[in-house]
Amino acid sequence: MSNSPVALSANQELDEFNPFLSMAHLFNQAANYLDLDEGTREVLRRPERELTVSIPVSMDSGVTKVFTGYRVQHNFLRGPCKGGIRFAPDVNLDEVRALSAWMTWKCSVVDIPFGGGKGGVICDPRELSERELEQITRRYTAAIMDILGPDRDVPAPDMNTNEQTMAWIMDTYSMHVRRTTTAVVTGKPISLGGSRGRREATGRGVMLCCREAMKKLGRRPENTRVIVQGSGNVGGIGALLLYREGYKVTSLSDMYGAIINENGLDIPQVLEHLRKHRTLEGYEEADRLANTEQIFQECDVLVPAATENQITSKNAHNIQAQLIVEGANGPTTAAAQEILDERGVVVVPDILANAGGVTVSYFEWVQDRMGYFWTEEVVNTRLEQAMVKAFNDVNDAAKKYDVSLRVAAYILAVERVAVVYRMRGIFA
Amino acid sequence: MVDTPSVDDELDDLLPSTPLLDDETPFATMMASFDEAAHEIGIDKGVYSILRKPDREISVAVPVRLDDGSIQVFDGYRIQHSAGLGPFLGPLRLEKSLKVDELRALAAWMTWKCAVLGVPFGGSAGGIRINPARHSDAVIEGAVRRYTACLSADIGPDRDVFSPDVKADERVMAWIVDTVSQHARTTVNAAVTGKPTSMGGTLGHEDAVAQGLRVILRLAIERYKLPAGPLRIVIQGTGTVGGNLARLLHQDGHHIVGISDVSGALLSKNGLDIPSILHWRSQGGALDAYEGPCDHADNAELLSTECDVLIPCAVANALHSRNAARVNTKLIIEGAHGPVSAKADRIIHGEGVPIIPDILANGGGVVMSYFEWVQNRMGYSWILPVINKRLRRFMTEAWTDCTRRTDERKVRLRMAAGMLAVERVAAADQLRGIYA
Repeated sequence: MSNSPVALSANQELDEFNPFLSMAHLFNQAANYLDLDEGTREVLRRPERELTVSIPVSMDSGVTKVFTGYRVQHNFLRGPCKGGIRFAPDVNLDEVRALSAWMTWKCSVVDIPFGGGKGGVICDPRELSERELEQITRRYTAAIMDILGPDRDVPAPDMNTNEQTMAWIMDTYSMHVRRTTTAVVTGKPISLGGSRGRREATGRGVMLCCREAMKKLGRRPENTRVIVQGSGNVGGIGALLLYREGYKVTSLSDMYGAIINENGLDIPQVLEHLRKHRTLEGYEEADRLANTEQIFQECDVLVPAATENQITSKNAHNIQAQLIVEGANGPTTAAAQEILDERGVVVVPDILANAGGVTVSYFEWVQDRMGYFWTEEVVNTRLEQAMVKAFNDVNDAAKKYDVSLRVAAYILAVERVAVVYRMRGIFA
Repeated sequence: MVDTPSVDDELDDLLPSTPLLDDETPFATMMASFDEAAHEIGIDKGVYSILRKPDREISVAVPVRLDDGSIQVFDGYRIQHSAGLGPFLGPLRLEKSLKVDELRALAAWMTWKCAVLGVPFGGSAGGIRINPARHSDAVIEGAVRRYTACLSADIGPDRDVFSPDVKADERVMAWIVDTVSQHARTTVNAAVTGKPTSMGGTLGHEDAVAQGLRVILRLAIERYKLPAGPLRIVIQGTGTVGGNLARLLHQDGHHIVGISDVSGALLSKNGLDIPSILHWRSQGGALDAYEGPCDHADNAELLSTECDVLIPCAVANALHSRNAARVNTKLIIEGAHGPVSAKADRIIHGEGVPIIPDILANGGGVVMSYFEWVQNRMGYSWILPVINKRLRRFMTEAWTDCTRRTDERKVRLRMAAGMLAVERVAAADQLRGIYA
């Protein structure tokens, strides 16, 4: 990821690989279709609030170290801010800003009542003890207390943060406000107000988007070959659910390489192997394949669910799939999208395809507010309703404006926020 | 509590609210079985030591002007045991000989019970040391309101929720809601459960425990492969739990072959006419004066009557070391709190009769309190079929978790429930960490 994601660069080569610039570009395109005035564009472009805090921590060695943390609230017109907190050495304000805007559009596409936020702490979790991580989390939470809350800003896990981190945030917040406040954060363990079905949610959303797109293409799952790049929470679970739907998943990958079997992989068996050996390597009922070659193999559907910038202007011509469902954030560059458009390849864009996670985060928040927790079937049914509706909304917008699903998703997202902005007006 | 004299001089057979062992407090006695459970699961000592002490104990002076104009200061308490899983939930007691250590035991008991049933609360218990029989309603109301005001910083829907108890009925719950709401300048009906339905109480509250027991019975029939068709069931008690349960099981087609109240028991091999008996009771009639096609007996005979299922729903220690061996049933379900004494438990277990422990079996009340709190938070009330369906869900989930643990670890159901409880609360505490 680039160090200065939203800084304008004259270098076209670099631009293609900056997913945040792609996003800014898409926002402008959407704003043009919607014929938004410059004032509205400016309101929707800028974060509403940015907070930088110092986080002093007494390290295990006895020395005191001061970390830097951020929380950016891009937009809370549609509801409280929602977005992850990441712990990484290369966290910077520009990136957090861009990711917070991304969340605004994602929440808007799936029509959940949240704005976008994002946070991060500059630190290297690999060099920190559990105790030091807990101290960082708690002090960071205390420092941003005033802008957090179930009706203000609701963080979630992101890079290098997990259920445990969320439990610490929930506890710190609850102790400060002197009451149990599970709804201040999502992605919690089930025993502390987490939602059933959350772990599988993003993968399930990917499957549902694929299913809906296939319906529009008039195709059935049987004998449809799917290549999934990745095998983690999104790719692995996505592959499993597609397999259960009757798709023929022919290839899966992890960071060490890919496996392929033209007759279709036995996904439960592959995942069991992965769980046991922590790598796909050594799985016998498939051939090995280099990661660099995987996505160009023959298939009908490609699910890039690993990292950004996988499909670029250099390789988009070699993609065999007729349908791409973006499980990862920003796997397709803007230039690649143009090539795919020309070739008639349908791309279900990231802000729609991988929004299952944030949708179940929303369900978690709802359940915490009620204090009543749904069974997994109820969660899955409601996720399905939300994803199918979002897919159809985006598909309708694509037809209406005669644009790709990606541009349509942005048009829909920006329009929904702009409508609320117009109705709420400027408070002063 | 029913004030029947104990027939036994054995310490473990004394009635409840009395220390069960001379040198041990109620809290220590109650915790002993959970200490065992903690040992069994091999939990970290430090983490468990947190659970051995209540999180917070609050003691308040409650001054009230009596009807004659004089002032009396009552003692009020609220013990909050563990907040790991959520806000506290626990009863309020109005009792002349209220003992703090009993409240401690009760608070911890609530923590474990909520954990087993999977409702997001920690346990608490509180009370005012006052003799409700000796004071006017106005004085009791004054005491309850002042007590509530004294605790206003520590209670509320997300802090600590009151549930009713024997002498603290829905009227008392209404006073508390009103006091909390007046202080907060906003309606706070989720601060209390067991309210009148007209002010946020839930439907299905009256027979919640009985409905829960009915679900448990169905699950137990399957697990223990009891004969298909109508079962012969003996129920001790005709109160909120026993009476409602008799009505429900009679509706389900079972034969209630024995039932009792304080005055005595009724027996009939072919099944009693439950609607008629409950009608008699509702007219204020005692069972020993009931006239119908059945035999009269005493409670001791009732408990040794041959049956398929025995469900004691009346007093603690109903089955004790002297009568346990006479029990003639295939299954015991504890409807009351602690109806089988520790010694009786060993005897009955030795004879191979399964006992479904109270912590699991009579959890319907706690689940219903939880449902009331949820509905108050949403501001939307569920209809009765929805409530009963959801109650079934919670009882079934708790049952499945407990029986699975029993099968995996080859322990008794009571131990399995204790292990689950400790494990769940400890896991939450561990995840949350120690805040400082």
